[in-house]
Amino acid sequence: MNHYPIFPIKPETTPVTSVTHSDLVQGIAKVVGVDGNTVWLEPEQTSSCGHCASSSSCSSGHQSDGSTEAEKGGMGTITSRLHTRRFQITQPKALGTLLLGDRIIVGIESGSLLKAAMTAYGLPLLTALIAGSIAQEQFAQDAMTMLGTALGLTTGMVIAHFSAKRLKSQGALAPHVLRRASAHETCGTV
Amino acid sequence: MKDFALMMIGAALVNNVILARFLGLCSFMGVTTRVDTAAGMGFATTFVITVSSMADWAVQHYLLDAYGLGFLRTVTFILVIASAVQFTEMTIKKVSPNLFQMLGIYLPLITTNCAVLGVALLLVEGKMGFLDSTMFAFASSVGYSLVMVIFAGLRERLALVNVPRLFAGPPIAFIVAGMLAMAFMGFSGIATS
Repeated sequence: MNHYPIFPIKPETTPVTSVTHSDLVQGIAKVVGVDGNTVWLEPEQTSSCGHCASSSSCSSGHQSDGSTEAEKGGMGTITSRLHTRRFQITQPKALGTLLLGDRIIVGIESGSLLKAAMTAYGLPLLTALIAGSIAQEQFAQDAMTMLGTALGLTTGMVIAHFSAKRLKSQGALAPHVLRRASAHETCGTV
Repeated sequence: MKDFALMMIGAALVNNVILARFLGLCSFMGVTTRVDTAAGMGFATTFVITVSSMADWAVQHYLLDAYGLGFLRTVTFILVIASAVQFTEMTIKKVSPNLFQMLGIYLPLITTNCAVLGVALLLVEGKMGFLDSTMFAFASSVGYSLVMVIFAGLRERLALVNVPRLFAGPPIAFIVAGMLAMAFMGFSGIATS
């Protein structure tokens, strides 16, 4: 399994489904690898370009299955990068043994999604704009303002790094495994 | 300060990217089924629009204007936007792989979002300084996010009501979007630009 990128989502933090399903942003993930008790999942693309189980009935391409973009057409540039979003969980006991190709519904708490977005995007942007404004006020030169903004952005990224660590330690970023997806369920129907 | 505030209100509300300039309509219809996902997309787009506008300003000012290469503007900006998205993706992956797992879904969608290029081209027309240009881009993207979240809230409500079968789904969503655009036209009375 060495060819899969390793993301530090700890398997033991995965199936904690005490929240109601309405609080979760749900999506379909496909089992793309099984290594003992560890399962690798790849999220199905939820954009309007149809990179899901129903993609065979539409014209969107699917480059990650080995075919070339030219052969399949469609937005292969997006699909070909799905492998970078693979993540691992432990075999969830409630769902039985997951096998290669199985599709399951996973969810993320909606509050966590907002916190994560604010941490990753909001915080660095805020520090960049504040630092840029201060630099403009102090020096009134575009070059210095650019430098100040870049420094603010970097500082924001560092703060976001520690903030994300804190969120992770609270278990806020862990996906919840909900159930198996039925054959007719696609990214548009969950 | 008053001019600055008016510029930001004008960019966010009066000349809203989605409802007045009709940019970014794909994500407007595609990612607004839930408020949470719309807000996530809004945050990501705000970040990318603002960061790419900073890079676009530098490229325009120090490269295209300086060497008379204005005819390469569109293709250069597309390259800068794609690079900004790639930079964002790499940085978030580095800062926190968990956050990347959760939020990475939005980034490929932003690459093909015409609102990002539209704002960059508007900035060139404005001939503003670096900070003004950055704040204009930020305000525009805040307006984009605001409309995304409002529309997602309306669609969540729509999912709970009995809509006639012929209007169910996208048709009623388009009608609501039209009504929202008309509501936003009311803002045109409060700003000068």
